Amino acid sequence: MNGIHDVGGKHGFGPVLVEQNEPYFHEEWEGRMLSMMIACFAAGIYNVDQFRHPIEKMDPRHYLMSSYYEKWLCTVEQNCIDAGIVTREEVDARHAQLMKGKAA
Amino acid sequence: MNMLTTAMVPTVLATGDPARVDVEIAPKFKAGDKVTVVNLNKVDHNRLPAYIKGKVGTVTFDHGVFVFPDTSAHRKGPKPQHVYTVVFNARDLWGEAGHPRDRMYVDAWDDYLEHAR
Amino acid sequence: MKHDNHSHANVLIPEVGLRVKALESLLAEKKAIDPAALDLIIETFETQMGPKNGAKVVAKAWTDPKYRKWLLEDGTAAIKSLGYIGIQGENMVALENTPSVHNVVVCTLCSCYPWPTLGLPPVWFKSAPYRARVVIEPRSVLKEFGLDVADDVEVRVWDSTAELRYLVIPVRPAGTENLNEQELAALVTRDSMIRTGVAQSPSH
Repeated sequence: MNGIHDVGGKHGFGPVLVEQNEPYFHEEWEGRMLSMMIACFAAGIYNVDQFRHPIEKMDPRHYLMSSYYEKWLCTVEQNCIDAGIVTREEVDARHAQLMKGKAA
Repeated sequence: MNMLTTAMVPTVLATGDPARVDVEIAPKFKAGDKVTVVNLNKVDHNRLPAYIKGKVGTVTFDHGVFVFPDTSAHRKGPKPQHVYTVVFNARDLWGEAGHPRDRMYVDAWDDYLEHAR
Repeated sequence: MKHDNHSHANVLIPEVGLRVKALESLLAEKKAIDPAALDLIIETFETQMGPKNGAKVVAKAWTDPKYRKWLLEDGTAAIKSLGYIGIQGENMVALENTPSVHNVVVCTLCSCYPWPTLGLPPVWFKSAPYRARVVIEPRSVLKEFGLDVADDVEVRVWDSTAELRYLVIPVRPAGTENLNEQELAALVTRDSMIRTGVAQSPSH
């Protein structure tokens, strides 16, 4: 698809910013996301192409602003919903519960 | 569903998903062939970057037979076909913005290419 | 991700780490994933997958002409012989930098990267500026990385659109004739195997 992901040759993004001594993961959840992505792939929930397509279909603003692992969350969540393993409502509710717990 | 256990982790990481298909399929192109990239604009998944659509390049290498992402992403089967590396002159892609010496190498499936006229 | 409150100011997922945790806990309850397997995957990446592996491939290619030839002809088999084939590095192609050719690797559509040989990609490799610019103006991107490519050198940009992953063999630095394979591997940086850097000289 002619999605926002197809950035080759586009102008206007500015300089390539390089972080010196970049850590393997910036936050603990990034490692959880990486490993969850692999575990769901191994369980047969998606193949590489089914994994990539929901990222391409993200809201363009969200795509450009989000990190690599946030994009992965979007597609793993979408694929698990499409496979009938979880519902959006379940994820929303658990997420809200965890946020409430953190705020308390 | 086959849940990934710790015992299976080393094998999964060592194997991944090769996407290579062990079937005999005749290649449509060979190294040295001039090809035109199709002007594909479907909303489905594909691996064709906009900057090569409609451009003419030269096949440099045939990597063998692979699953086709356009069908694989939509549970329409593997539609196995050859993947090639195609080289383009930077000037042909970017006009005056390209350096006359520079080359772009892009991998493409059979369905993305036609013999250049 | 469907969020009703999408606005220009708030397009990101709030508390994204907690949403990852929410999804993980639900998938574990439904027996779709085993959190212990997730722990093991993270540990394997942190301890076994990184540019040290790719550096060993390069150092071997620098010291063993037969291996170098094999690596350039059949990257997958040659890298497999050292044990560095696997997820996101199932099909490997080695590219050789020479005084007249400089190779640069990118994935414009995604952020594909050879995990078994190089580990997980740095943020800049996955970023839109790198993916957008390196195909149209590779020389200015390389210049920002401190690499001035002479006009008579050919820049080859490789966009890994398919399931092949690319590893660049940098030029062996001058003054390293007496170093052994292990000492050479220590000179090979991650960036020199993607594109954007040169191998360090021994004085570094």
